[in-house]
Amino acid sequence: MALRLGDVWRRLCIRFFGASRVEVDEELSYHITRETEFRVAAGMNEEEARRQALIAFGGVEKAREQCHEWRIAVRLEALGRDIRYALRGLRRVPAFAVPAILTFAVGIGATTAVFSVVDRILFRSLPYHDAGRLVSIGIVAPIEPQEFMLGYSYYEWQDHQTPFETMTSWTGSSNCDLTEENAIRLTCASVEANFLPALGVGPLLGRNFTSEEDRPNAPKVAMISYHLWRSRFGNDPSVVGKTVSLDGTQVRVIGVLNKDFELPTLDNADVLVPEAIDRASQQGPNPGRVRWAFARLKPGVTIDQAAAAMQPLFQQMLMTVPPQFRKEVHLRLRSLRDRHVHDAKLAAWILFAAVMLVLMIACANVGGLLLARSANRQREIAIRSALGASKVRLVRQIATESLVVVLMGSLVGCLMAAILLRIFQAFTPQGIPYLERAHVDPRIVGFAVAASLVCGILFGWAPALPKPDMETLAGRSSIGTPHGRIRQLLVVAQIAVSLVLLAGASLLLRSFWNLQKQPLGMGTRGLVTASISLGELHYSKPEQQMAFFQLLETRLRKLPGVDAVVISDSLPPGGWHHDHIFAALRVEGKPPLAEGTGGTVAWRWVTPDYFRALSIPILRGRGFSEADRNSADHFMILSQSLAGYIFQNENPTGRHVQPGLEGPWYTVVGVAADVKNGGLMGGDEPEYYRLRRNYPEDWGRDASVTVATPIALGAMEHWMRSEIAVIDSTIAAVSQTMGERVSKLADRPRFEAALLGLFAMIGILLAAIGIYGVIAFLVAQRTPEIGVRMAMGATKMDILELMGMQGLRMIAAGTLIGLTIAVAASRSLSTLLFGVRPDDPLSFASVCLLLAFVAGVATWIPASRAMKVDPSEALRHD
Amino acid sequence: MPAQSTELLQGTLDLLILKTLALAPMHGWGIAQRIQQVSRELLQVGQGSLYPALHRLEAKHWIRSEWGPSENNRRAKFYSLTRLGRKQLESELENWKRISGAIALVLQGS
Repeated sequence: MALRLGDVWRRLCIRFFGASRVEVDEELSYHITRETEFRVAAGMNEEEARRQALIAFGGVEKAREQCHEWRIAVRLEALGRDIRYALRGLRRVPAFAVPAILTFAVGIGATTAVFSVVDRILFRSLPYHDAGRLVSIGIVAPIEPQEFMLGYSYYEWQDHQTPFETMTSWTGSSNCDLTEENAIRLTCASVEANFLPALGVGPLLGRNFTSEEDRPNAPKVAMISYHLWRSRFGNDPSVVGKTVSLDGTQVRVIGVLNKDFELPTLDNADVLVPEAIDRASQQGPNPGRVRWAFARLKPGVTIDQAAAAMQPLFQQMLMTVPPQFRKEVHLRLRSLRDRHVHDAKLAAWILFAAVMLVLMIACANVGGLLLARSANRQREIAIRSALGASKVRLVRQIATESLVVVLMGSLVGCLMAAILLRIFQAFTPQGIPYLERAHVDPRIVGFAVAASLVCGILFGWAPALPKPDMETLAGRSSIGTPHGRIRQLLVVAQIAVSLVLLAGASLLLRSFWNLQKQPLGMGTRGLVTASISLGELHYSKPEQQMAFFQLLETRLRKLPGVDAVVISDSLPPGGWHHDHIFAALRVEGKPPLAEGTGGTVAWRWVTPDYFRALSIPILRGRGFSEADRNSADHFMILSQSLAGYIFQNENPTGRHVQPGLEGPWYTVVGVAADVKNGGLMGGDEPEYYRLRRNYPEDWGRDASVTVATPIALGAMEHWMRSEIAVIDSTIAAVSQTMGERVSKLADRPRFEAALLGLFAMIGILLAAIGIYGVIAFLVAQRTPEIGVRMAMGATKMDILELMGMQGLRMIAAGTLIGLTIAVAASRSLSTLLFGVRPDDPLSFASVCLLLAFVAGVATWIPASRAMKVDPSEALRHD
Repeated sequence: MPAQSTELLQGTLDLLILKTLALAPMHGWGIAQRIQQVSRELLQVGQGSLYPALHRLEAKHWIRSEWGPSENNRRAKFYSLTRLGRKQLESELENWKRISGAIALVLQGS
């Protein structure tokens, strides 16, 4: 058997590469030996016999070389001839070659670029050992979209769980400063000691944390990221064991993380430190620390089984939750990948589907072009066949032509993919993970090229297979009719698919338009903001923090052209802000506000200028005054919706509210109009504002400074930065105009709408090329017939109708089919849409009109050419 | 050894090889021997051109090769005719007969 296989292999090798040199040598030496033996048998002595044999053979070396060259030459020559012929043939029909190559390029380019992006999101391998078994586990509650765990219940779960090999967690990251010479701001993540082992990753250098180091009051240790190791320590391996100063504390570096390490939540971290939490402190009435938990499933355990196995522990935990909240808390267990992708998943799949549709249209188009080409060259093939070309030769030649087209298209397509990917990355929205690291993947190029090859073969080779007959040679047979029907079907399919794409794109565009136009409840013009985060070293005390911001406020007010200065801790209409559950508001003289959590309430620290600067009208009562800042009392302003929830029609001013069910009581001084605060698409939360007084307890390390000004914003931004630098040059402030801030919130929908719009445009263009090609081909084929008709008295309008009807029929069929699919498919878009229904009739109608118009033009041009046919000319046509 | 041997006409070597192989699969040396014998030592195959010819015919898929034990039990490369080769042989024989007949006519006529 082995011998047989070897034989098969050898034959294959010979088939493609010719006999190996060794074989030729063996064959020739056998010949010489036999010849020598023959002569010895005839009575010659051995040496003489061999000499004679070599002479008789005449140049062993030459024969050997010739044997070899022959095989290669025969093949190369045939291939070269095919390619030359293909190139020459393609040059002669630019009407075929250019659209075919462009179509391939567009198809392959778009597919590859999008696939490269989607691959990073949906299919990339996660940098953990056996990542398929890693899950994210926790509870979901209204205050946090991602699952989390609280305090002691985590330890209970960790101790008593059965479906997991290990469970681990981290408790979030915070700013920390490397307080050495050239201090820098870093992000420190606190993890459990078993964090890395549970994920199945090890350090690049050094060692992992020990459980002793994860105890309170243990000597401080840290692991640093590869990036920090490179940028700060110059890849010096001796950093392991060294002591550095983190937020003024001496910390020993015990390890360096791998280059591809990432937190399972995709958060950024420069330093990992043990969380060092005292377990006992987490027990008790307080909910304890929030953490994000991950677990590794035991082999063979599915996620559903694990979730079922965790139910008893979850129910037990639920008993510790106040009864009114229980309904709103659920257990969630999902794969790490699902957690990563979270809300990017739908967008990624839609992108993926869109690009597949474009590839389909492209393939259909090339198929149509190839069919037309082969129909056109039936005669040529017939002639060549009659002149003695073998069928194999003909098929090979047509195949070579298809291959040349595919290869040239792929080449341009790869270029296009690289360019498209750059474009995607240029407007990467937040929240689509890893787009910036996507690159054109050779695997994916391979996939796209293979897909195109298949369609090239299907449509390019098939027509070459039946041997042309004498009818074809005469050029009088009705060839092309069956091909013509396939082409028409292809065009119908193209129109249908384009319509689906266009419908999706128009819905997203309208949604994006609505987003941009919606009232925000605040002004965005003439505002510059800077977000500032004070370092731990010099600003660890609230007094220091307040002093800095007060000084900054005073200095900014003195600048020319400054109307108002606001120092708040967050800003609408999107991004981070404080929130808590509605039920945590206690109102003087009222029973508890809600049965359950009552949803969430947003709140911010603001200074008095806030409402004036952001043009938020005060509807009742008054705004904060400068005098309020020195008062020992606390003041708050409610948003209109919150005032309505709490007080209905009563007058809220002068009432007292205690947020968080503990701490100081706040006096309500006024009611402000509602402002968007959940991002552009998110639902809005009721909101209240606490006044930042001149007391240290009202201040923190982080703040947003907003300046209202009528002068050029660029200049004001510059002045603000220099004012900040004058006070403390080490502070890094991120400044932008309010307009930019808001526009950034629309990045994601803009990205989605633009991409789908791009694909829809490509789709409609390709479909137009397709329909144009079919009609033009029909006109060319039926020119003699048209001539006869005109000679018999048909008017120009009759001819236009004759040809145009063909196109109209295809357009009507395609539109109908496409519309049906689009209506069904658009439902999947509904969560991406804002202010427009997925079955929006206006969008669908306009899309149909647009498509019908473009397709109509593509029909009109060749059909009108048929009108101009000169009967005498046409009848003379062969 | 015959004193004089006839040089092979251009293009006839292929025909001779095909004809020889039509009888039975054979290795290179055997083919050379056979042609020599059958032509009563008149046709001397230039062995330096025999092997390139064999490889050329194999590349055209007219003959195929296979390693096997030779008469004296050594490894030798045996060539045999393919279906395509058999067809080619027929058409070349036809051709040869026509041409040689034509030449004969011309020579007799003059």
